[in-house]
Amino acid sequence: MKTELLIIGAGAAGIAAATAAWDAGCRDIVLADRRERPGGILPQCLHEGFGHAQYGRELTGPEYAQQIAQKLNQTGVRLVLGTEVLAVYGNKSAVLSDRSGLTQLHFERLILASGCREKSIGSLPVVGTRPAGIFTAGQAQEMINLHGQDLGKEILILGSGDLGFIMARQFAQSGKHVIALVEKEAHYGGMARNYHRCVEPYKIPILYHTTVAEIHGSGRITGVTLRHLDGGGEEEIPCDTLITALGLLPERDLVRGLGEPEWLFFAGNCHRVHDLVDSAVSEAERIGRAAAE
Amino acid sequence: MQSFDVVVIGGGLLGCFAARNLSRWDLHIALIEAREDVCTGISRANTAIVYPGYDHRPGTLKAKMTVRANGSFDSLCRELDVPFCRCGSLMVSYGEQADAVLRKKYENGLSMGVSELRLLRGEEAVKMEPCLAPGVTSALYAPTAGTVNPWELGIAACENAVANGIALCLNTRVFAISHTTDSYRIETNRDVFSARAVINCAGLYADRVQELVFPTSVHIVPDGADYLVLDKAAANLPTHIIQYEPEDGGKGFNAVPTVEGSLLLGPSERDNETDFAVSEKGISFVYGRAGRILPGLDLNEVIRSFAAVRPNPRREDGSSIGSFVIENPAPGFWSLIGIKTPGLTCANELGSYVAERAAEQLAAERNESFDPCRKGIKKVRGIPLERRNAAIQADPNFGEVICCCEDVTKAEVLDAIRRGATTLDGVKRRTGTGMGRCQGSRCQQKLITLLAQELGISEEEVTKDGKGSEILGGGRDEN
Repeated sequence: MKTELLIIGAGAAGIAAATAAWDAGCRDIVLADRRERPGGILPQCLHEGFGHAQYGRELTGPEYAQQIAQKLNQTGVRLVLGTEVLAVYGNKSAVLSDRSGLTQLHFERLILASGCREKSIGSLPVVGTRPAGIFTAGQAQEMINLHGQDLGKEILILGSGDLGFIMARQFAQSGKHVIALVEKEAHYGGMARNYHRCVEPYKIPILYHTTVAEIHGSGRITGVTLRHLDGGGEEEIPCDTLITALGLLPERDLVRGLGEPEWLFFAGNCHRVHDLVDSAVSEAERIGRAAAE
Repeated sequence: MQSFDVVVIGGGLLGCFAARNLSRWDLHIALIEAREDVCTGISRANTAIVYPGYDHRPGTLKAKMTVRANGSFDSLCRELDVPFCRCGSLMVSYGEQADAVLRKKYENGLSMGVSELRLLRGEEAVKMEPCLAPGVTSALYAPTAGTVNPWELGIAACENAVANGIALCLNTRVFAISHTTDSYRIETNRDVFSARAVINCAGLYADRVQELVFPTSVHIVPDGADYLVLDKAAANLPTHIIQYEPEDGGKGFNAVPTVEGSLLLGPSERDNETDFAVSEKGISFVYGRAGRILPGLDLNEVIRSFAAVRPNPRREDGSSIGSFVIENPAPGFWSLIGIKTPGLTCANELGSYVAERAAEQLAAERNESFDPCRKGIKKVRGIPLERRNAAIQADPNFGEVICCCEDVTKAEVLDAIRRGATTLDGVKRRTGTGMGRCQGSRCQQKLITLLAQELGISEEEVTKDGKGSEILGGGRDEN
């Protein structure tokens, strides 16, 4: 199979890049995603706060996804969902896998819009056991908002980025006890806007200069040892759930080792991590147009 | 009451191989395991090396078994359909003291018939493995060393044993054993077993299990060790097993390229920390050693740290025992106590050793229908694309990737559950789900759904590794 432009990842950036490339005259575009629906992580972001720059009002994640999907639907972009891209080769081809089989797809240009993955607790030198009840913030968001799961009652959040803030609010709103956000730096990592919306109103403490030194519990997590890095010693805090919001890493594994060929473009969070979806979208639109030329 | 000819207590690597080798005989055999799955204790965490055998005193059972086991490891892994990589090992030294240790090991190895062993100059070693820190003075190269996934091997042996007719009894914890003239009575939380012979492979608890019925002069003093796992995509990974022999005679260190492609670093030095909890001192030791021996490694690519526990056998006076301890306190009762390195290498040999003794004791006939071969879960990662496509045509579930880091499909997960995985860790040990760089954050929900569907339980009942480790609802630990 052949296509002029392959875009991997049908999240906000991939959709925006595809729509912009179509509008710029490219008439042969394949947009692939492993999920069963377009929008990437937007559908799990039930909170408001998206689209101020693009739409002049605040949308929820699903509303935002709907807006951009509508634009996409007016194009002739071929959207292939439930499809895993297994490999990308230097001869400008990719292997796609779905339930009907493998497809070798030859392309002229490729936009990688594969977003990021979350840093996991495994990458930190945290001591102790490895029990159940530890989730990344994005994973928790997906499990709660898309699968209706109840993760726990006594929640500790490691990290104070935006995703940590959003999840702190969500847990607080659903009647869970958010014990604290734990931050090793002297200042929170997320945007001030999110701090004022998500943390302040719920009086959730942020413990600065503090980190999780040890995890306790043999089956399910029962608590952690917090270490106060400014010389304040250690304390044990019971909890039944630990949420890690340790930051995002651009997901570029598919093109690792391919160098920087002129046919390869990056859009959205796999290019660089954006604070706002609007900025990921406007960047992706620019890249979509460039790739269409 | 259930009656068997032989009951094997403990479903770790050794128990699984004891059961497999017992099934070569026409005997009625049970393998009983306290946990929800096999290979959840010592076997779930170790250095994953198949040793060449130059380390042990010539003439000892351990030395003979290791050399023999190494020689037959390819055929064992072919029979059990388990990946084995004979990548070779380089034991490196950085000074005269350690050079002398290597020379001694080399001569020792030659006298035991370890094949292809070579003593290399530092430059030769660095040429083979450019990622080594400069200043290598000599290296002992053992091309016959290899790596295998320990739990994959144990699970394979267990499946083979079950296919040959043994009864596997999980969630079955022994609390009493009594002995009459010609039989043993084993009381468990589920049932009472009677057996004409007992093979005690209870791992960390093997001394205590023997003491339920006989005294033992050997006691297990466990010690812990810590490991790091480096992502398979990290740069400057060695292709051989690197073993560092310190100049001060202290604890060695290994960097092991696993069959999955990741790099295992460890073990650590530790003081009397005995559980499966990673220790601070241990983990910083591993970081330090790894950075020093393989300075090109990017330790930001670490994806996991974990702890292992090793069962050190000690005499009454506290002195440690270097050899394998196989006790036979009464006719029909054998205990493997404190089997540590190279227990993985020798698991099949040890299983065969006790099986033959039990068979002799019971005057058993050969099991004519014994089949040594087991077929593993069909995996599609890395296979040629035509074959992968054919697999999807035969079963569309091979087209659906569940774990995107390790490229594990739904068909593999379903097969693992049908073969007996009941937990997230059970699926992980059989398929590799969650072992990659995102550590399961992207596939866990899908696995919870599949486990619940296939086992006919609710998602809330799905656990990480048995009761008390529920993933949802804050755990359901009844306190």
